[in-house]
Amino acid sequence: MAMHFIFSDEAVLLFDFWSVHSPAGMALSVLVILLMAVLYEGIKVGKVKLLHKTLESLPTATSQQLILETDQDSAGSSSPPVNRTHLRWFLCHFGQSLVHVIQVVIGYFVMLAVMSYNTWIFLGVVLGSALGYYLAYPLLSMA
Amino acid sequence: PLDHSHHMGIYHMDNSTMPPHHHMTTSHSHGGGDMMMMMPMTFYFDFKNVELLFSSLVINTPGEMAGAFVAVFLLAMFYEGLKIAREGLLRKSQVSIRYNSMPVPGPNGTILMETHKTVGQQMLSFPHLLQTVLHIIQVVISYFLMLIFMTYNGYLCIAVAAGAGTGYFLFSWKKAVVVDITEHCH
Repeated sequence: MAMHFIFSDEAVLLFDFWSVHSPAGMALSVLVILLMAVLYEGIKVGKVKLLHKTLESLPTATSQQLILETDQDSAGSSSPPVNRTHLRWFLCHFGQSLVHVIQVVIGYFVMLAVMSYNTWIFLGVVLGSALGYYLAYPLLSMA
Repeated sequence: PLDHSHHMGIYHMDNSTMPPHHHMTTSHSHGGGDMMMMMPMTFYFDFKNVELLFSSLVINTPGEMAGAFVAVFLLAMFYEGLKIAREGLLRKSQVSIRYNSMPVPGPNGTILMETHKTVGQQMLSFPHLLQTVLHIIQVVISYFLMLIFMTYNGYLCIAVAAGAGTGYFLFSWKKAVVVDITEHCH
């Protein structure tokens, strides 16, 4: 295996069945990797937006109560409204953790694709990251 | 606040994206039908003859693979916890706010006072030194996790992903609640 970047239409990416041996196959693979990089950048922003959305959807009184309760580590003896909020918070956090796992896996997949040392793939990753960042980051500063 | 958290966010994210490191020794011969590759380049599920980071760590039995799975899982969990702990430490140590006032020439020959507000740590302070040490540990662990994922072993990769998810879930739980909306940025 070459230890430097090469231009080639042949590559095996990530899985045994993903073997490329034609220009068309390479173009398609570059597109898939590009979309993966876009998705990775999007997920990074998506996690923050998800957190904002949940924090906003909680009425401020209960969110402050939530903060107070976790600080004092009080368990049980919660009034029903706070219990419902806790459950919603738990579900949101569990969802966030799943999104985090997906982010970790996609990040590693993109890293392994770059490891193929195929220049087309690498350019696809760079372009995908740029495009993903360009599209996703303005959404961060939106309320 | 957004700028600062943005900087923290990029710094935070850079450690999630592992840059590829090239220490591969793959021999790939085309002629003679000999297709032996020393390093796998596709995902596989096996527990025999799996080298893990060091030459003395070779997995050969299901029991050893189970032990390696648990160790990798815990390592990934620890990594997530370390990230969160560092963020918390950084936030706590940034209570010092320094104001610098400088005279600045204004229009019509007047002199205006420009005030700069700096939030940060001093270089030789203990919090900063501690952050540096923790940073090195974090960098080393992140590269280890990358190298583990690079073994392409399905069991170990699942351990990394599951450990990261569990660590994020457990350690981010309390932290996410007390965070300030305007400065939260991953």
